[in-house]
Amino acid sequence: MSGRAGGPALRFFGGKGGVGKTTCAAAAAVAAAETGRRVGIVSTDPAHSLGDALGYRLHGHPRRVVTRAGSLEAVELDADRALARWLGRRRPTLRTIAERGTYLDDEDLQRLLRLSFPGVDELMALVEVARLVERRQWDLAVVDTAPTGHALRMLDMPRTLQRIASVLDDMHAKHRFLIDSWGRGYRPGAADRLVAELDADGRQLFALLRDPARCRFTWLLLPERLALAETRDALGALAATGIRVSDLVVNRLTPRSPGPCPLCESRRVEERRVLGEARQAFPALDLFVVPALEQEPRGPVSLRRVARLLTARATEVAPDRARGSRAGGRAAAAAPGPPPDAGGDWLDRLAPPGVRLLVFAGKGGVGKTTCAAAAAVTLARRRPGAEVLLLSADPAHSLADVLGVALDDGERAVPGGSPGLRARELNADEALARVRERYRRAVEETFDSLLRGSRFDVAYDRQALHGLMDLAPPGLDELFAVLAVVEALLERRPPCDVVVLDAAPTGHALRLLEMPVTALGWVHALLAILLKYREVVGLGEVAAELVATSRRLRSLQALLTDPARARIIAVTRAAELPQRETERMLRRLARLRLTAPVVVVNALTPAGCGRCRRTRRQEARMLAGASPAAGKRRRRWSMISTPALAPPPRGVGGLEGWARAWELQG
Amino acid sequence: MIIIDRLVIGGLVFVLRRIAEAVDAGMDDVDTLREELLAAQMRLELGELTAEEFAAVERELLGRLREVQQRQTGGPGGPMRITGVDVSVADDEEPFQRGAPDSR
Repeated sequence: MSGRAGGPALRFFGGKGGVGKTTCAAAAAVAAAETGRRVGIVSTDPAHSLGDALGYRLHGHPRRVVTRAGSLEAVELDADRALARWLGRRRPTLRTIAERGTYLDDEDLQRLLRLSFPGVDELMALVEVARLVERRQWDLAVVDTAPTGHALRMLDMPRTLQRIASVLDDMHAKHRFLIDSWGRGYRPGAADRLVAELDADGRQLFALLRDPARCRFTWLLLPERLALAETRDALGALAATGIRVSDLVVNRLTPRSPGPCPLCESRRVEERRVLGEARQAFPALDLFVVPALEQEPRGPVSLRRVARLLTARATEVAPDRARGSRAGGRAAAAAPGPPPDAGGDWLDRLAPPGVRLLVFAGKGGVGKTTCAAAAAVTLARRRPGAEVLLLSADPAHSLADVLGVALDDGERAVPGGSPGLRARELNADEALARVRERYRRAVEETFDSLLRGSRFDVAYDRQALHGLMDLAPPGLDELFAVLAVVEALLERRPPCDVVVLDAAPTGHALRLLEMPVTALGWVHALLAILLKYREVVGLGEVAAELVATSRRLRSLQALLTDPARARIIAVTRAAELPQRETERMLRRLARLRLTAPVVVVNALTPAGCGRCRRTRRQEARMLAGASPAAGKRRRRWSMISTPALAPPPRGVGGLEGWARAWELQG
Repeated sequence: MIIIDRLVIGGLVFVLRRIAEAVDAGMDDVDTLREELLAAQMRLELGELTAEEFAAVERELLGRLREVQQRQTGGPGGPMRITGVDVSVADDEEPFQRGAPDSR
């Protein structure tokens, strides 16, 4: 990678939630700055934790971080602001194009441009990074991305920009044609410049991401079986779009334990196996390993230490051969085995009868999917006759791996589970393709009815409309997750009794929970526009569909905000960064008038070796500080704790056994 | 929007409206009434109609729909009879009928 001479360089840190992207990105940024360069670091995950890692309060404007040499500026992207800024001077031109190319008038366009845009985080991230690089004259921009699924959507945005340019161009083509045919001779104006600008931006970003001399991708994973499968999928998806990952960081390897410790030992056995498989699976990549640190690295001093580890090749850290796989079996959890049917206690607190929607949300990597699956499996078992749907809405799915069964966009019975239990991994792209097919016909019909008996040619409009339909809008995953919940709970006859939703990590889980209101805004705007132009285009199938969707969204919003029927389950760990993020999330949820009465503190460390005991003491302090009884006033949520297992529980049997060891705290 | 544009687009809207009217004329009353019902539902969703207002409109429209269907089938439950006449009997009292119906 070069400095400014060859243009600025970009370095992306990607990976599943909770693998340590933010910490490693921050460490790399501090280290790069201290070689004397101008460095910027941008967090594009809507649930930011960059400020926590650097020990600074950050916002959408660059903030100077003190380093020994060079300069470092840090930004937590504010996508809504970035979009408003981006639209700012382009708004009049966009309005002109839409006015010329559609039947919409100024009032309609104002209405549409006032709405909030789903997927704005993905759409704006790269545009904003490019703007900051230019404006702040950075030599290097380090990008801390959102967890896998949404990072992939973000990296696809250059193409979306080009598609938007092409739709706008189609809309404008009619105007050019008409001016020309009136013999005035068409002269390019602001509209053409905007189309060209968008297209060029998209093209440049697209090329930049694929230029190994200027762009470097580091992929992080934890030494777990699940992570390996996900990494393989993600790297495959990236390679298919021409983006090459150059190095792999295996983070948080369990160090050799000071004394006998079943948990550490069985972790180390699993980790060595995963490391070996990673070497085999990705022979072309540089592999780095970073051991687990007892203290979460915060602030430049501890980040420097991580940075040193990040430059040590895996080969230099010899795989440990000292202790064999004596503890090959599953490590025991918290000391005394709980009575076999202790699950009832926490289950009734988590999902009292009458609750129809449970949304598991939390920072990436805290174990949302495992907790959601264990809760769903237990719920289905203990409420015979109830239809329970376990739905994964994280575009980087891991539900199938946790359950140990193959899953897809259809609902599947889960072998070994209660007969009422079904599971599904939502595929937004497939869902979009289905909807698009349905509407394509409706749009064709509208045009055909307009054209009957007329020589008037609306080819331009038709093309613009088709372009619009091909434009996969960002925010799809959230939209289709919401529609799937609506279908399962409100439309289906008979309806599901309970939907357990495994959401994407915090930032996108919040976007999902805001989605019914956002989508309702769009549906209402479209209804108003259709009504206004019904004389011209008539109503018909699209309008009927929109009315139905509007009703469903309102019902869902009523359900979501009803504490007796829907609850958000916050999953966290007894560690500082997840705890801080959980607190921020609970505050946001309260503002959205959503009920989050239960916090699951996942994977508490059992007493084992000296290090585990120290970790356990830290966790106990954390837990005491966060417990419902602590603080000035009693908190309004209860806490459930779960024991750490190595390897983590898999399959219906494993999950049910693990869930029996969950405990309701105070 | 520049003037020439407004002329052209204004003309376009006019043509489209003519087409729409022609389509309307070919549409039998059942379709028209259904569309009016849909429009009322849309207004209800948008809060432009209260639930009471919507109920009144709905009652009126459903009554008309039944009438038309009975006329077409020659009585409730009777066999469908295609007459080709009497399809568009609109009078001034129909507040939801847009445009004057063409006689056929």
